Amino acid sequence: MSRLLQYVLLQAVIVIVCTIALRHPLAEPPSSALVTAFSLKDRDVERSATLPDFVASRRSMNDPAFYRGSFIYDAPSARDDARRAWSVYLPRFTNGVEIIVNGVEILDSRRDPSANRPDRATPEIAVIPASLLRDGPNDLVIRLYVWGPVSGFLDRLYVGPDEVLRPYYEKRTLLFVTLPMVFSAWQGILAVILIVLWAVRRHEPAYGALAAAMALGAIQAFLPTAVDQTAHPEFNATVIASSAPLESGFVLAFAILFFGRKWPRYGPLIFLPGVLLVLIGLFGNPEMLRQAFVVLGIPGLGLNLVLLALVVAWSELRRQDVPSLLLGCAVTIVLTCWVHDVLSVLQIIPDHRVFFTRLSYSAMLVAIGAGLTWRFAGALNRVDGFAAHLAIRLREAEDKLKASFAREEARARAAALARERARLMRDLHDGLGGQLVSIVALSERGDASAPVGDAARAALKDLRLVIDSMDDIGGDLMLALGSWRDRAAAQLRPHGIALDWRATPPGLPVHPELRPWHVIQIVRILDEAVTNAVKHAEARRVTVSIETLSDTSSSGCGCITVEDDGKGFPPASGGAAALERPAARGLRNMRSRAARCGAAFELVSGAGGTSVRLTLPRRFPDGDAVAG
Amino acid sequence: MTASGDELAARDITVLLVEDDPPTLWRLQDALAKAGFDVVAAATLADARASLAKRTPRVLLTDLQLPDGHGVDLIRETRQRFPDTEIMVISILGDEESVISAITVGATGYLLKDAFPTDIASTVRDLVAGHSPISASIARFIVRRTQANAEPPPGPPLNTTKLTPREIDILWGIAKGFSYAEIAGHVGMSRQTVPGHIKSIYRKLEVHTRGEAVFEALQQGLIKL
Repeated sequence: MSRLLQYVLLQAVIVIVCTIALRHPLAEPPSSALVTAFSLKDRDVERSATLPDFVASRRSMNDPAFYRGSFIYDAPSARDDARRAWSVYLPRFTNGVEIIVNGVEILDSRRDPSANRPDRATPEIAVIPASLLRDGPNDLVIRLYVWGPVSGFLDRLYVGPDEVLRPYYEKRTLLFVTLPMVFSAWQGILAVILIVLWAVRRHEPAYGALAAAMALGAIQAFLPTAVDQTAHPEFNATVIASSAPLESGFVLAFAILFFGRKWPRYGPLIFLPGVLLVLIGLFGNPEMLRQAFVVLGIPGLGLNLVLLALVVAWSELRRQDVPSLLLGCAVTIVLTCWVHDVLSVLQIIPDHRVFFTRLSYSAMLVAIGAGLTWRFAGALNRVDGFAAHLAIRLREAEDKLKASFAREEARARAAALARERARLMRDLHDGLGGQLVSIVALSERGDASAPVGDAARAALKDLRLVIDSMDDIGGDLMLALGSWRDRAAAQLRPHGIALDWRATPPGLPVHPELRPWHVIQIVRILDEAVTNAVKHAEARRVTVSIETLSDTSSSGCGCITVEDDGKGFPPASGGAAALERPAARGLRNMRSRAARCGAAFELVSGAGGTSVRLTLPRRFPDGDAVAG
Repeated sequence: MTASGDELAARDITVLLVEDDPPTLWRLQDALAKAGFDVVAAATLADARASLAKRTPRVLLTDLQLPDGHGVDLIRETRQRFPDTEIMVISILGDEESVISAITVGATGYLLKDAFPTDIASTVRDLVAGHSPISASIARFIVRRTQANAEPPPGPPLNTTKLTPREIDILWGIAKGFSYAEIAGHVGMSRQTVPGHIKSIYRKLEVHTRGEAVFEALQQGLIKL
């Protein structure tokens, strides 16, 4: 609410400042040069007239009103070397004038395109040829041509030395002719920029609407209007008459689209006055067009300005951005000038026939230019900010990823450690634990012949196996078998059993997937085979053969064979079941261990000895799940 | 009553046995005494030093964990003061950690605590004859260290730069369980010379002085000045 109040207050200040500026009288030449008393002959009616004076609007363009007056020419004194040039200066008139001094025409304003635009307060100045001047009273006749839509007007005029009058004329020309031209050129440039902008960004029709407005404004400013000189007077008149409502309509459309309002259903109605004017201009006559302009053009312009002010105010209150504020202030200026001009035409306030609406429109052009530039710079900043933001986010994401990688790695490490620990526990339980329990049992029997030493040695051997299996052997089972050879030889030596080691180069294939638990299973199978040879077979020699079976495939399978020359196993079905129980359990263990490693287990036992043949898989199974 | 050559030789061999666990000490002492060695037993580092001061043994057999110190110190001292004494470390498991750390200070062999008595005697005898024992896992550990790794594998530091390619080949063969005969055939030498190479390998792994240790550590990039 306070924002609305602030905004309204600001606009009120602008209105007051504008009004003061508008009411501020323009500088005028010294009153000694003033010529005010005229006799007016208008449509065969004669009356005396004091300038400024109005005459009624009329249909014909060749029906001037005659103002007759006179001025006193002071003959220069003898001491002056040169005669000073004298001029007639008309600050303001509508619509066209001819100046006749002593019966000779010295100026026809209708030949000046700029002067023919009633919306521009074009002044005129005419130097009176020296030969025309007479000492004393001179005749001055002004023919005032009026072609509507407003009534004819002739402001106070001045006759005097050119050097006195011309600075005032130049000042007015600068303000009412040159400045509008400059702004029109600026408008033209703006039109080109916006057309390019719209061509590149077709999805933003706001720029298209503004481009149309700017183009229309620029074109109408440069259209010639000299009454008898144009090739297409009707067309030009139509464009000029319809430009104000159409242009304001486009600007309004731009504001609606630009400030993010939804295009209203009745939106196209804002173009209705302009379109009607175009139709009238094309199909009616110039007089109709002029009347229609008064009825449609000026109110249409005013309505669009009011709507524009509302749209911009709404945007400013909602977004509080600089473009809305700039445009809002500019609209207020234009609207104030429009009200001033209307009141002036309706003669509600003193009428000097100086119209400021078109001139004040330049404020809007400046606001639009500044607003667009502001927007553009803001967009550039946002792009920069977005890029920086993106870089930050990217870094954040990278850090997160790194952290999650580290977390994942730590988790995997912990899981591997836990798995390894579980495996170690199981291995120790399977081997060492059982053996220690059996040592306890044996020592409790108190029997001197109890094989406590064997059990303890087996426990130590198993401990060495478990520790050895921890070592990274790089998938080369031969390295594990090398250690096992040392242990097996030490085990066999006291029993007088020879270990015949036959490793056929290149030994066994390397298995990168080989895990410690595979090694343990395989070595335990071999241990079992050697232990059987020691305990049950009464063998003299144990032969271990290591070779790679090369079959059809490129990489062969490793094969380990443990043979003894003992008495062999009796068939499992026959004999005393009780006696065979430990051996049968050992056999079952060997089979299940081989199955866990995916190795083929083969046992042949006969009178000539026992042979355990282990054919390694091409690829060791990955999971430890099957291992119970 | 004619003593065999072996026994005569054994009787001349004095062994200083340092072991703090009495049953193990008795067992080893029995095994060596039965084989004819002249055994002096010590249970602590102080005892061992006192014994060394009295008489220089031919062979020093020592455990690493002693009540009043570490066997490594004893090995280092003995190696420096009595270069001709053969030194063996007594290890429970024959693991790389204990054996290698002993070898780097001057041991040239190791003995498993649970070895059979005959094996104990023959190992000592072989050592005196210049044949150092080596297990496949010790050989594996050493050859692993010869392979260039950015990150040194866990275990005691070991400088393998002095080993020749032939010696590394021998170690590979031992690590893979090949017999001395097979290794000798492979590297082109006689079977009998292989055990002698093992001792030579051990000697090359030895770090002789503190200064040398620093120098080698520098060379291997283990420490930075």
